[in-house]
Amino acid sequence: MSNIDMKSKLALGFLTIIEHAQHGLFGGYLILNTSGRPLEFHCTTPIKPNRAQEILYGPTLEAFLYGEQIGQTLLKQSNIQPLMVCTDREPALAVREYVSLPVVLVIPAEKSVTIENDQRILRIDGPHGSGPNLLTFELGRNRLALPARAEEERKVIVEQLGELVESFDLAEPFERIREAIEEAQQAVR
Amino acid sequence: MSENVDGLKVTGAMENISWQAQAQSPLSAISLDLRFENLPQGIDLSEILLPTEQKVISLKPEIPLPRAISIFVANPRVRVCSFTFDDPLETRALTSTDAERPSGQLFAGVGQQRKRLTRIKPPGDVIKLEDRLHYLLQPSLESLLSEGALGFPCRPYPYQFEGMAFLYPRQAAILADEMGLGKTMQAITAIRLLLHRGEMRRVLLVCPKSLVTNWRREFHMWAPELPVMVIEGDQSKRAWQWHLADVPLCIANYELLVRDRELFENRPVAEGTSGEGWQPIQFDLVLLDEAQRIKNRTGTTNQIVRSISRKRSWALTGTPVENSTDDLVGIFEFLAPGFLSPDMKPRKMGRTVSDYVLRRTKDQVLNDLPPKLVHDERLDLTPEQHKTYKLAEDEGILRLTELGVSATIRHVFELVLRLKQICNFDPATGASAKLERLTADLEEIAQSGRKAIVFSQWVSTLEKLRDHLAQFGVLEYHGRIPSKQRDAVIERFRQDDSCHVLLISYGAGGVGLNLQFANYVFLFDRWWNPAVEDQAINRAHRIGVDGPVYVTRFLMLDTIEERIESILQAKRELFDIVFSEDGRRQKMGLTQEELFGLFQLKCPDGKIDLAA
Repeated sequence: MSNIDMKSKLALGFLTIIEHAQHGLFGGYLILNTSGRPLEFHCTTPIKPNRAQEILYGPTLEAFLYGEQIGQTLLKQSNIQPLMVCTDREPALAVREYVSLPVVLVIPAEKSVTIENDQRILRIDGPHGSGPNLLTFELGRNRLALPARAEEERKVIVEQLGELVESFDLAEPFERIREAIEEAQQAVR
Repeated sequence: MSENVDGLKVTGAMENISWQAQAQSPLSAISLDLRFENLPQGIDLSEILLPTEQKVISLKPEIPLPRAISIFVANPRVRVCSFTFDDPLETRALTSTDAERPSGQLFAGVGQQRKRLTRIKPPGDVIKLEDRLHYLLQPSLESLLSEGALGFPCRPYPYQFEGMAFLYPRQAAILADEMGLGKTMQAITAIRLLLHRGEMRRVLLVCPKSLVTNWRREFHMWAPELPVMVIEGDQSKRAWQWHLADVPLCIANYELLVRDRELFENRPVAEGTSGEGWQPIQFDLVLLDEAQRIKNRTGTTNQIVRSISRKRSWALTGTPVENSTDDLVGIFEFLAPGFLSPDMKPRKMGRTVSDYVLRRTKDQVLNDLPPKLVHDERLDLTPEQHKTYKLAEDEGILRLTELGVSATIRHVFELVLRLKQICNFDPATGASAKLERLTADLEEIAQSGRKAIVFSQWVSTLEKLRDHLAQFGVLEYHGRIPSKQRDAVIERFRQDDSCHVLLISYGAGGVGLNLQFANYVFLFDRWWNPAVEDQAINRAHRIGVDGPVYVTRFLMLDTIEERIESILQAKRELFDIVFSEDGRRQKMGLTQEELFGLFQLKCPDGKIDLAA
């Protein structure tokens, strides 16, 4: 993430990726202030992995595309460094490798999760060979998850953002991003 | 040169020089054992013996190496479109003296988390992608409201949030909901939010004079923190009020606008006059209530409201088309001059205005609203009425016939009104079939402790009814009741259990009144305009009504009332064509032929405007 012109604001970032059957993957990154108002919005043109990538990246393809390719690119575009980046797509958690921000997965309310005794789960969606173990926790009404290896970040998030995020519905902004991407896509046509 | 490959041993000879090489594993380490016989002088051994790569390769065993296929995995280039938005203004706290503002929650807070949220969509006339995204990326309307701690006395219906979200981003808009769906509170809340967010600073609401009090009350209920100023008083006071730029909300009535029209021309004020130093009158929003008042685009009121300097133009009306599509053209001359033309076909006009007009009916949005049961009570005239009616009709038709081509609309109207009055009461004897029926119904209503509203177009009719219906506890609300007393009349009708009947004229009580505590509506006589009748009915059939609303429309058989009914039906169909996709094709407006046709008379061709 560029440090040039980076403003320090009380803001939250929201990163999502949309899969479009025809065009491929669209990424969207929205930065909101603590009132939920938009400060910045970045979106990508669609990308599509080729057959070679699908074979060579195998089960790591999604993490590569969502996190390294799309997520990293989008986060680098922003002028504002948010306190935390939320995503609703688990593979996008991989962006954490490239940024110095906490990246947390927002679990939609309707998602069914299997929580083991120690609160660790393997997956929130279908079975997967190499997915990271996830550590789930709650912040206000929000159900969040972090890669188990980033457990120490949970404390940081709860301490720094707990009160701030208490009243936020962290799943809601993703709908805005989806609509905005759809709008941008229509504008291009 | 010959080679004999035997395992890893290789021998060879060149002219008179023989040599032998032996390769040892690994292949990269090859030792050569050379024996020279008859070595001539002058031979440069280094030329022969110098091991070069090529020579070594030539000695390798014939084990085929795999062919290398290289795949370059190109990472896709991700291109990014970026948009930044102005640091939004924090919600302003407007002056609040007596308002209790409930505590709000931030950003689609906990209380709204799992509820359906209302999103603000960009209007169709917003073209730039950045501007459209600005709207799309805003938080939900509920969040914006709760952020500013903008509470409500009761939670609005979802469709009302949608109405607010419709108005909020629009420069020009008509909220055309059916009466009783809460257009007032939707407009107030949208205004409230825009004021609190600093997107507007000065708003002018224009309404009929009879509704000023009602609007002030509604503002107090839905936006108690907003300072409201009613423009009134003598000319100098009004001029001073018009120029008070720091009052966020001004209420004026249409009649007053006509008197103050010169002020809106914003001409330079001469030195030494009372207006010296005043700034031009400008508003961020001008909102017209009962906007059908400006349906005549060449009318004075229309011209005046269009002359007011403003950034946004909104209109509220349950009846954007009363008589013909010209009505809508007139309203649009205020909203977006030139956007519509009178020669547009109704269906095309409906499509053209679709992004500017939001129209919902109770059937569409209020599944839980008690039903409105409309019953046409078709009665026979009493013998006295019948005799008088026949006489009047025959005489009238005879007169019109005698007038021939010099007969005018006015002559026809006079006859129509005369006959309608006879349908109400026989002028000689006072006999009335309608009154008999009404009295019988009211006895039952009063006994059950319910309340009823009775509409007529004539105050004289209402006064006769007052005398005959006194036993039911009758109150009156019409043009002969002073304006200052009217609120008290409504309040008493609401509170006093002994008052079961409110007599209202279409003109005074057709709009703006909330009478949902009355379950019975009687249309003692019919109005020319179905929209006005609907407005009357919807005084009672609106949000908050307790139980079904029973509507009785009196109709005298074999009279002018029956013939008028068919005209009203045609007008309803016109409305459907413009504002519904499945409207059917039908005739337009009311022609002079049709009017004369009420009496089977011929007349000159041409269309007339039967303004209600």
